[in-house]
Amino acid sequence: MKGMLQYVHGNTILHKVPPLLKLLIAIAICAACFSTRSLLVLLALIVLDVILGFIGNIGRQTLRTLCSLCKFSSIIFVLQIFFVTQGNALVTLPLGVRITDEGLRFSAMICMRLIGATLPLTVMLTLTRLPDLTRQLVKVLHVPYKYAFAFTTAIRFIPILARDMAAVIEAQTARGVELDGNFIKKLRLLLPLCVPLLVSSIRKIEAGAISAELRGFHLRGKKAA
Amino acid sequence: MIHLNGVHFSYEGREVLSGIDLDIASGEFVALIGPNGAGKSTFSKLLNGLNKPTQGTVTVAGLDTKKARTSALARKVGFLFQNPDRQLCRSTVRDELLFGLELCLTDKADIQARLDKTLADFHLDPALNPLTASRGERQRVALASLMALTPQLLILDEPTTGLDWRECMHTMELVTALNRQGATVFMVSHDMEVVRDFAQRVLVLNKGRLAADGTPHEVLRRTELLSDAALLPPQIMQLSLSLGANYDDIDTCEEMTESLIRRRLEK
Repeated sequence: MKGMLQYVHGNTILHKVPPLLKLLIAIAICAACFSTRSLLVLLALIVLDVILGFIGNIGRQTLRTLCSLCKFSSIIFVLQIFFVTQGNALVTLPLGVRITDEGLRFSAMICMRLIGATLPLTVMLTLTRLPDLTRQLVKVLHVPYKYAFAFTTAIRFIPILARDMAAVIEAQTARGVELDGNFIKKLRLLLPLCVPLLVSSIRKIEAGAISAELRGFHLRGKKAA
Repeated sequence: MIHLNGVHFSYEGREVLSGIDLDIASGEFVALIGPNGAGKSTFSKLLNGLNKPTQGTVTVAGLDTKKARTSALARKVGFLFQNPDRQLCRSTVRDELLFGLELCLTDKADIQARLDKTLADFHLDPALNPLTASRGERQRVALASLMALTPQLLILDEPTTGLDWRECMHTMELVTALNRQGATVFMVSHDMEVVRDFAQRVLVLNKGRLAADGTPHEVLRRTELLSDAALLPPQIMQLSLSLGANYDDIDTCEEMTESLIRRRLEK
């Protein structure tokens, strides 16, 4: 997830499209993902997301994000197939657990929806400068600046958190933490690592808020006395 | 202890380090200096396997870092990061020290003995929450968690950044004590006074290459080389250099004072 949601400079047609239009395209693809029940349409939408990534010259990054999403989705897929019991049983396991054709189809749909809806947003946000998006949200949609600023700041924090998490994992690996074991062991070791991440995030948010206040953020929109 | 042979390292297609050959013996105290972006942190991460060389070999304590796992190297190599917050993850000093000890050791009696010794050596309160402690204390806890393992090699990335003079001296005394016990110390620093006072050998890294290697007295007097690397010698060395050849052997304030008094008496 390295570099995720971090603006990538470029001069492609997607870079030149107005930010709000890009956001609208992404939302339209998300809506299409949730309104269709066809696996083929979902697959086509995911392929469209990847093509958009290549058009925006961030093809490799898009494929990396797709890979990460696939890994995450596979966990959901495995959990989901045991909860859907409708349909014809394909495999019957002890304790009455059944894997059905409907369960497989439903799990695949959930995972593809997740991928299909996440990917366009990451692609579009990677190709959009956040100050441009804030400006358009305020000027075109008349969103109060405070909310537009909070929205774009929250997005801006995602790559920062990803980078911090990578640094924390690096520091802990240097102490002897092995993060390539089985899932349970990995989770047991990863949970305490969230503490330094949380602490540094809160410190960063606090520093950001103080810095904005010191530059007169609260005066924005008010007439000078 | 450390052997680098024709090491190149590239990151995202850019060559950060090129053609590095270096040998560091056991028990040496080596400082690495250089401008921002010279590749100092990248270099130090090569020594504990966090970075793997794109070309050449790095051998640390007999282990090839390309083949050995970083977690295996952690038993021999301690790494103190510039930001201690990334290393601290437990809510008490005691748990923090135990976390590192239990990762690398199995003997419970040994773990307890090391824990007690480290708490005493570092004058640490075991119940203190490191996450809410001062910067100096957090740095001390992070260092204590490494020193509890008595590493053969201790790598310090800017260990004195953000510390006041007292905390800086205290940290460096603890590091020197470990060095006296036989551990090798490799320190990345921008603080020329600390480098002059504690290092036995200084390496200058500039534009991805080792530009100089020698004692602090030899390296920190090469003003052109240092200026090239955006560095300045310690002030007392600058003064002795500008006073001319008669003051060539002076590196510290004490030496300068003695020399001035002697010359005055001679007159």
